[in-house]
Amino acid sequence: MEAGFLDLQGKKIVVAGACGGMGKALSAMLAQGGAQVIALDLNEEALVQLCQQLNGEGHCYRVCDFGHIEGIEPVIDDIIKQCGPVDGFVHCAGTGEVRPLKMSKYPYMVDVMNVNFFSFVEIVRCLTKRKAFNPGMSIVGVSSIGAFYGAPTKVAYTSSKAAMNAAVKCMAVELGGKGIRVNAVAPGATNTSMRRQYESYAQDTDSYKINAIRQFLGVCEPEDIANSIAFLLSDKARMITGTCLTVDGGKMST
Amino acid sequence: MTNEEKLHMIEDVLELDENTLTPEMVLADIEEYDSMSKLSLIVMIDDECHKKLTGEQLREFVTVQDVLDFME
Ligand SMILES: NC(=O)c1ccc[n+]([C@@H]2O[C@H](COP(=O)([O-])OP(=O)(O)OC[C@H]3O[C@@H](n4cnc5c(N)ncnc54)[C@H](O)[C@@H]3O)[C@@H](O)[C@H]2O)c1
Repeated sequence: MEAGFLDLQGKKIVVAGACGGMGKALSAMLAQGGAQVIALDLNEEALVQLCQQLNGEGHCYRVCDFGHIEGIEPVIDDIIKQCGPVDGFVHCAGTGEVRPLKMSKYPYMVDVMNVNFFSFVEIVRCLTKRKAFNPGMSIVGVSSIGAFYGAPTKVAYTSSKAAMNAAVKCMAVELGGKGIRVNAVAPGATNTSMRRQYESYAQDTDSYKINAIRQFLGVCEPEDIANSIAFLLSDKARMITGTCLTVDGGKMST
Repeated sequence: MTNEEKLHMIEDVLELDENTLTPEMVLADIEEYDSMSKLSLIVMIDDECHKKLTGEQLREFVTVQDVLDFME
């Protein structure tokens, strides 16, 4: 275990969606840096496997379905009770990347908003209660550059990410007095199962082809996103709050 | 689900009038079978048949019958 430039040693970080492509890369990076990972995701088997693979001691997990917002508070309360106050939270869970508008009925919209946005707000709400966090806590929501431009099949997904970006700004202001920082990271196309699934469906569409060209540095690896999240979690980013950092291989500059 | 019901569901996704599709029709010849309709078809089959259709499987479909078979 190495303290390293970012010095995450001993920090307790809740990672939601820890078994996904980015969640896994981030958890491994945090554990490598000496942090304690508290992993949240849907599938217990995957969570057990993740915790076994992480460097160091004290990592733990909770099964939590972000589609059911009412179930989140008891899980977070239990974490605080068992692990004590935390130093960071990252929301890496996500769903619903591609769906034409005509198939985007209300139950689907609600599900995407629950997993991508309402669960983020609920976890932040629960983790920022008195005695739930340590001074200097840092919160990072994984958004998407999709929030910044129009694209077909993405009404639900990008709306949920735009909502996250707006919430991050408000939370940064509201929680600033408590010494809590809140930021978003907006990845461009990143090599995970979510991306591969999108590719398999959408590779014939014009929108896919144009976007692939616009991301002129190429597709990001999950570690590229994890690096920027780890930075925002660290005290090196102590003057950064309320911002959205794009990690997109240059796409938004074109 | 009967074949007729399935055909109506596909017609609905492609925004075609009822009874315009037959199983032997070649998908590539149907003007409305564009990239957006293909994505809608994937979603419809997931929602209604609880089956995940991959992009590769979709590309292998030749006729409407292939879609009906997958929806089984
Ligand atoms: N991969 C990309 O190209 C890309 C681009 C921009 C933004 N993002 C965002 O990055 C984040 C991570 O995505 P990823 O690429 O690692 O995807 P992924 O599909 O590999 O991981 C998503 C994780 O979220 C979890 N999850 C989904 N629904 C859940 C639910 N109801 N309850 C609890 N957990 C649930 C999944 O189990 C999975 O572990 C997501 O928020 C995604 O929207 C991804």
